[in-house]
Amino acid sequence: MGNVLEVKELSKKYTKVFAAEKVSFEIGEGEIFALIGPNGAGKTTTIRMIATLLTPTEGDATVAGYSIVKNPSKVRECITYLPDEAGAYKTMKGIEYLKFMGGLFTEDSKKINEFVERAKEINGLGERLNDKIGTYSRGMIRKLLLSRAVMTKPKLAILDEPTSGLDVLNALDIRKTIKRLAREENMSFLLSSHNMLEIEFVSDRVGIISKGHLMVTGRTDELKERYNAPNLEEVFERVVLENEVH
Amino acid sequence: MKFINLLKKELKELINAQMIASLLVVMALLVAMGNMMSSTINEISNTEYKVSLSDRDDTDFTKSLLDQLEKDGSVITLIKTEGDNYSEILKENNLDSIIIIPEGFTDLINKNEKPELITVSRMESAAMMSNISNHTSDVTNLINTYIYKELSKKAGITEEELNYMTSPVNIVENTVVADKSANISVETIMNNVMMKNQILPIVVFILITMVSQTIMNAIANEKIDKTLETLLSAPVSRSSIIGAKMLAAAIVAMLNAAFYMVGFSSFMSKTTNSTNLSSNMDSLKEMAEGASSVGDILSTEAKLSQLGLSLGITDYLLVGLQLFITIMICLSVSIILGALVNDTKSSQTMIMPLLMLAMIPYMISIFADINSLPVVFKTLVYAIPFTHTFSAMSNLMFGHYSLFFGGIIYQIIVLAVCMFFALRLFNSDKILTISLNFGKKDKQKTNSDT
Ligand SMILES: Nc1ncnc2c1ncn2[C@@H]1O[C@H](COP(=O)(O)OP(=O)(O)OP(=O)(O)O)[C@@H](O)[C@H]1O
Ligand SMILES: [Mg+2]
Repeated sequence: MGNVLEVKELSKKYTKVFAAEKVSFEIGEGEIFALIGPNGAGKTTTIRMIATLLTPTEGDATVAGYSIVKNPSKVRECITYLPDEAGAYKTMKGIEYLKFMGGLFTEDSKKINEFVERAKEINGLGERLNDKIGTYSRGMIRKLLLSRAVMTKPKLAILDEPTSGLDVLNALDIRKTIKRLAREENMSFLLSSHNMLEIEFVSDRVGIISKGHLMVTGRTDELKERYNAPNLEEVFERVVLENEVH
Repeated sequence: MKFINLLKKELKELINAQMIASLLVVMALLVAMGNMMSSTINEISNTEYKVSLSDRDDTDFTKSLLDQLEKDGSVITLIKTEGDNYSEILKENNLDSIIIIPEGFTDLINKNEKPELITVSRMESAAMMSNISNHTSDVTNLINTYIYKELSKKAGITEEELNYMTSPVNIVENTVVADKSANISVETIMNNVMMKNQILPIVVFILITMVSQTIMNAIANEKIDKTLETLLSAPVSRSSIIGAKMLAAAIVAMLNAAFYMVGFSSFMSKTTNSTNLSSNMDSLKEMAEGASSVGDILSTEAKLSQLGLSLGITDYLLVGLQLFITIMICLSVSIILGALVNDTKSSQTMIMPLLMLAMIPYMISIFADINSLPVVFKTLVYAIPFTHTFSAMSNLMFGHYSLFFGGIIYQIIVLAVCMFFALRLFNSDKILTISLNFGKKDKQKTNSDT
């Protein structure tokens, strides 16, 4: 099984400080990988570099073999990105939004319709898709955007805090969808979250990031065992403590 | 095509019920104002003068004077008044103006002395149109002429002799433009050219403001609504994203400008038609009085083209080209401004500098000749790229080709520089990280502290 994403010593410096420094990890096909860390740790910064929105100060990453630095337009064909706190065009209807976004990925109208049908199935918004997005609740928008991000079957779906601001049931729903798509359709996911319990449920492997440094990566059960902790939260605590000692 | 998909989305966002409604309201207002103005002007140019008059002298002479005035078409309401408390007089009789012939008027004339003729007018505002409808001064002129003719008669001068004496020379007015000359007065040219030239600057100004506002909002809204990142991570080229936004903004602005142009043209034609009517009557009178012989009279239009003042197809194409370059400058500058915006409030202040840059040459083009300004100001004003668009029409008309083409070349350079920066901004991650909003970083820091 080849790697869909390979991140090599990726760094981003804003004016003075490094928001991410020498971050390296990889994601295999059909794998769900999560970056976890507190606010301001550098999760979004790392993700935006991989999504070709930010230019790295140093380092590189390849998506399906294409470099994000040298060949960003090829990378964009392989990924979809769901930003943290993303919005959708309020004056559009849900269905129009899906069609518009689909039209950015292909010019084949048959394919666009396939995308939209798939998105409909995933988001379960039904008739509400014919209403203006301005009338949607936060959870509905998030579901619409998530279905948009996976409808094109990208090689890698990048979701920044996919469940932020959602209630328990909606969050659960979204986690289940992500897991199902990875298992059934072999899609790869790069997620981020500061909710470690949620991540324990959804991801195959995690990377713990703090102050711009990726401290450890590994399978959740592996990490729990290594740090002798009952859950990821305590793993995180120990990792951070350990690194401060050094 | 992906570009069409993007363009459709931009157009849909711009053309909505709100925009169409505001366009219709503006059109309706312009048409209504045009009608109002033309009816006011018709009223003013009406030769039937209506005045109130108080004849305190009440002699045979003043009576025949009033008879003559009424014969000439004035409508005179006679009113009895006393004293010199003029505001009281106007108030009591509910009048806006009155002419008073004082006692002893006829006596003084008979003694060859100058009698007084008193007029009283109420002033309610300084608006141009509000004080014009007052016919007092027209009637006092008629009174003057009447007395003048009566005195001449007394002195034994015939009417023919009198006519000759009033205008003993024929003035032949010639105007030279560049190396051409024509038998027409500067004033007539001004009247004709002005009206035509007023529409273009208005349209240019509207176009500049519309285009800038539209594209700026299109970029700023994507940032504010957090849709920009999604769009930029999609497999479409960045140039087609801004290309679609620019084209949509240009199309919508042109649509608006076209509507305004039609509106203003109808407004202008209504007002100029009625003023032209009265000036035509003046020239007819002149002809009748023999001031100029019929053979000399070419139409004003023909004389304008004799001077090279009427514009041909090439000129209009050049003006069109310059308008296009101007729009492109607005678009590229506003893209940069839009990228700097992070919230709705700053998007409104951000446009102000650009509006000022359009306002200054617009005002100057109406009121002054840029070349007659002091050198420092002239340089500053010419440094504003929009100036050259506002002066394009007059430069072409008066044959200042070096100014016109110099302006176009300067604008192309400005455009190249602005477009370079706009594209660079969009092709780098600056579009997401640039901002003039320094407060935001602090907020993130406090977030990470908690
Ligand atoms: N445009 C910017 N300019 C300067 N510094 C920035 C900018 N964007 C982010 N940073 C800084 O980079 C660091 C990492 O930010 P980042 O958004 O990647 O954190 P995060 O892990 O996603 O946090 P959160 O959980 O709050 O989303 C922070 O200290 C932040 O202040
Ligand atoms: Mg984040």
